[in-house]
Amino acid sequence: MSFALHRIDDRLIHGQVLVAWGSRLDPQRMWVVDDAVASSPWEKQLFADAAPGIGVQVLTVAEAIAAHAAEAVASGSTFLLVRDLATARRLHDGGVRVGSWNVGGLHYASGKTKVNEYVYLDEADRLDARALLTAGVALHVQDVPASKAMTLGALEPTVQP
Amino acid sequence: MDTTSSATTVPAVMVMHADLASALLRAAEKVYGPIEGVRVLSNEGLSRLQLEEAIEKEVQGWMSGGLVLTDFWGGSCHTCGAAAQRKHGELIILTGINLPALLDYLHNRDRLSLTELAERLQTKGRESIRVQSSNP
Repeated sequence: MSFALHRIDDRLIHGQVLVAWGSRLDPQRMWVVDDAVASSPWEKQLFADAAPGIGVQVLTVAEAIAAHAAEAVASGSTFLLVRDLATARRLHDGGVRVGSWNVGGLHYASGKTKVNEYVYLDEADRLDARALLTAGVALHVQDVPASKAMTLGALEPTVQP
Repeated sequence: MDTTSSATTVPAVMVMHADLASALLRAAEKVYGPIEGVRVLSNEGLSRLQLEEAIEKEVQGWMSGGLVLTDFWGGSCHTCGAAAQRKHGELIILTGINLPALLDYLHNRDRLSLTELAERLQTKGRESIRVQSSNP
């Protein structure tokens, strides 16, 4: 197996990912797919050091598109983390097929409205969510394994295709 | 090295999950007495950028550096503290802060330098975790 979790979370690697999901699913590797982080040697090193005992790779979207299929059949398990719905959509448009994304944290920013305590969306987010759902990609809102997963469409009917 | 030469107080901000920072500070006051000059921040509801900005706001007036006291390595409080550290070079981030380490900071923040204090708190925090086994 590989890819134990595909997660959309603007904090990328942080406590919930390391402690809650990490303890539950025990990944050997984490992919941070983010063009901005990939362009910053300092941020790449920060995330590489953030998860002791886990191999962290920071990839651009293009690199992730190229390497996803091989990683999907690699031994061990991997978390793939992106910061927003737009990146998830870019991966899909590039040919990466993900059955279900975990929507773990999209925090408030100007122009975003509340879906639940840890998910806020603006119009661009809704368009990206609708595109993914239309393509048959599931979006499950769940911050930690112990909380109940809800579909984004149930919480936010405006994103329904 | 002269460890009593620091004439200024090493400032600190506690950045932790949920209400942990304010709860730790409240617990410390029960042991230490009234505490001044320690700021607290929660990461609750904040994006990485928002938390980085909140930490930067707390530390920007520190002329000789200071401590960012966080709860655990790899959490957003740590990584966002590290981002602030990059912009304000003399910050030191400490992770895994517990009540004994916080109390030790309070007792020594006026007499040790920033780096001496950070090294001491790392040791004190580790040493405070001990096992009391039952007798066989």
